[in-house]
Amino acid sequence: MSALPCRRDVLRTAALAGVSVASSAAPNASPKVLRIGMVGVGGRGTGLLRQLLRLDGVNVTAVCDPIESRVARAQDVVASAGQPRPDGYARGDHDFRRLVDRNDLDMIVNATPWQWHAPISLAALRSGKHVATEVPAALTVDECWELVEAVERTGHYCTMLENDCYDRETLIILNMLRAGLLGDPLFAEAGYCHDLRSVQFDTVPNGEPWRLDHSVRRNGNLYPTHPIGPIAWWMDITRGDRFDFLVSMSTRSRSLREFAIKQFGDDDPRAKLKFAQGDSNTTLIRTVQGRYISLYFDTSTPRPKEEMMRFQCTKGCYSALEKKIFIDGLSNRNEGPDWLHNPQFEAFEPYAKQYDHALWKARGSTAAGSEHGGIDYMEMYRLVKNLQTGLPPDMDIYDAVTWSVISPLSELSVANRNRSVDIPDFTRGKWKHRPAIDPDAIL
Amino acid sequence: MNNRRQFLKAGNFLAALKTGAAADLQAVSAPGGPALVRPLRIGFVGIGGRGTFHLTTCLSFGGVEIKALCDINPDYLHRAKRYVVEAGQPEPDLYDRGPSDWLRLCERQDLDLVITATPWHYHAPICIAAMKNGKHAATEVPAALTLDECWELVETSEKTGMHCLMLEQANYYPVMLRLLNMAQLGVFGDLLHAAGGYVHDLRFVKCDPAEEPWRMQYEFNHNGNLYSTHPIGPIAWWFNINRGDRFDTLVSVSSRSGSNNSYVAMCYGERHPYATMPMPQGDSNTSLISTVEGKTVTLHYDTNTPHPHTTEFRLQGAKGIYSGNLEKIFIEGRSPKADQWEEFGDNYREFDHPLFKTIDTSKLKTGRGHGHGIDTALMWLRYFQAIQNGTQTDIPVTDAVTWSAIIPLSERSVAARGRPVDFPDFTRGRWKTTPPVKLV
Repeated sequence: MSALPCRRDVLRTAALAGVSVASSAAPNASPKVLRIGMVGVGGRGTGLLRQLLRLDGVNVTAVCDPIESRVARAQDVVASAGQPRPDGYARGDHDFRRLVDRNDLDMIVNATPWQWHAPISLAALRSGKHVATEVPAALTVDECWELVEAVERTGHYCTMLENDCYDRETLIILNMLRAGLLGDPLFAEAGYCHDLRSVQFDTVPNGEPWRLDHSVRRNGNLYPTHPIGPIAWWMDITRGDRFDFLVSMSTRSRSLREFAIKQFGDDDPRAKLKFAQGDSNTTLIRTVQGRYISLYFDTSTPRPKEEMMRFQCTKGCYSALEKKIFIDGLSNRNEGPDWLHNPQFEAFEPYAKQYDHALWKARGSTAAGSEHGGIDYMEMYRLVKNLQTGLPPDMDIYDAVTWSVISPLSELSVANRNRSVDIPDFTRGKWKHRPAIDPDAIL
Repeated sequence: MNNRRQFLKAGNFLAALKTGAAADLQAVSAPGGPALVRPLRIGFVGIGGRGTFHLTTCLSFGGVEIKALCDINPDYLHRAKRYVVEAGQPEPDLYDRGPSDWLRLCERQDLDLVITATPWHYHAPICIAAMKNGKHAATEVPAALTLDECWELVETSEKTGMHCLMLEQANYYPVMLRLLNMAQLGVFGDLLHAAGGYVHDLRFVKCDPAEEPWRMQYEFNHNGNLYSTHPIGPIAWWFNINRGDRFDTLVSVSSRSGSNNSYVAMCYGERHPYATMPMPQGDSNTSLISTVEGKTVTLHYDTNTPHPHTTEFRLQGAKGIYSGNLEKIFIEGRSPKADQWEEFGDNYREFDHPLFKTIDTSKLKTGRGHGHGIDTALMWLRYFQAIQNGTQTDIPVTDAVTWSAIIPLSERSVAARGRPVDFPDFTRGRWKTTPPVKLV
């Protein structure tokens, strides 16, 4: 069993003390050593490993990957950080079971291809470990419920490594919301729009060829959590609001096939693959409090990577793409009859400075230079810190599955001519009373 | 009675147009220019800000005679009359006997065209009355608010042989036409997705009696995308909608409402009835539309939230993407840097629509009232040419109602928890054989 307090202990203590979970920290407790096993040490897993090794009180004692060279590389990375060489597990796809059965691990970090996320997380939870899984946490509605039930039964944490929640702008907007500057959220448009053709066809270093099979078999929003995570925090999803239903629509499929023909020639088997996944998918998600989200997914078409994020609240709006903001009463609003040019955007930067988040002020320079602009460091820092101080992770299982379930539900909607699909309430009613994310507790 | 065929036979209206494209503009844009064999006689219904813009734009074309004006507001009527007289025309007859006086106007014998720029729910009834009385009809957007009205416009136009013109000037914006040209030349490859929006904070327009307070009424009995045509018009042309492809299904989702109530409370006080009266129209709405060929459209509508005006245009194909908000583009194999946007404005001038080579746009005049730019004048030039030449208009009635039908369809979808709604085929199968839009 883990030496760490489980979630139920924390909740019980918090309830006895009559305080919220977020403020029940024991700030003076000395950091415990967190013993971690890594499953999946490809490009992404190794990146996370490097961030973990920068933190105090972290011992990586086991690493697992079906590819031996990757295990060796991960062992080298750990050893060169001054820690004992971790045990390696490379006996095929299911060797993670031997790893999670060990008695000397507190947490499993799971950075495998998508279809392995839920099975490995479930195995870890059932073996008495906390688990932090790469996104998405699950691929099916059943897996989502299984994860919820496993967490509730075992009392161990399952958190999802949604690094975009630690994006500097995400936290600045959260601060601005709490300061009342933007009013109440109404609508957000965001997306994962990222040309991954060469990653899917494995024509670049650190390719992820396993992604291609998803494009062959599935059609929907296959990667919703990056844009959803920040919005869910802003909109209090599972914490005062919840997703009600979604509708989803895909275009035809053209770009992957054209890419394969261009790269490999007409006769290559890859050029003859038929792709179910439409090139561009749009999903609309409505919440029970009357907010909604328009979500893009497009990893097939030629396009520059876009920070697509448009956030509309009752008092103002924010555009990440243009780095602009408009706030009623603060930003310039010309009077007069010219309808088109009345309200005017202003630069986001001054607001970003004023409402910069404490986490970034304190640790921004430490995070700088780490992968994805520092957010990978931040997510590992927060995860480890919470567990070491006996707190639940910032993102819990309800967040993980609520954000992940958009994938299978969007597939269902697309397959049924854009039918609207109800989104399960994985909290079973607890969303009504769960406190909103407190940006001041993210430190 | 003046039906279209007789009119065209007697024809030669704006005869100079036929002598060549370069002469077209001169003939129609310069009062006192080449005399027209037969003038186009116009009656106006609704001459507030937007109607006045159309009136003064039309007055800048030679050969246009304004015979009748109708409005419930005498100030607007007399202002419009003054503009007509100032343009050197005889005093037009005024129709000021209340909100159905447009019927008398439509029944006059001496009109060729009735132009409607009224509140939305009058558009279809006035157009139908005009066509049934043997006049061409032109209407501000949207052409209709219900599916029944959509069908009635199509059937009336087909039965009477009269045009039903929807005044969607967005299709004539130079950027939209450049994108149309690029789409038709295959620069974007197979087209996949487009987005657009009418995202325009009109709370003050709805609250200020000097602007368009009549817009407020639709907040009380609608919830959907109430102003679809500006963004969908250009997109429908890019996508060959009703010309090889057609809209298939639509789903629509609205946010809750409340922003108008708060704004009214700010303007008129918390005890004003509108400050608390339930307004079903959600503050923000997004609709998704699929086509039978597998393209999709995302369409935003939001006139209630604090937001600078944006069009949210986006056009995406298998070879590249254009972003209207960024005014940038990426075309694989053409853009200089992989994975990086480039400027659209200067780098793609070679794709300016060839229409502009045939027209001296400096001779097009912008009107007075609510409007800007020369797009509306260009639209009128195209419509006048079509009427004169007896050719199909760029935006036929089937387009007008297909673009407008998004309003009632989105309302149905919103009311049914985002249920998908089938699009009617207003072309009754002709979309399969109709060629893409051709302007030159």
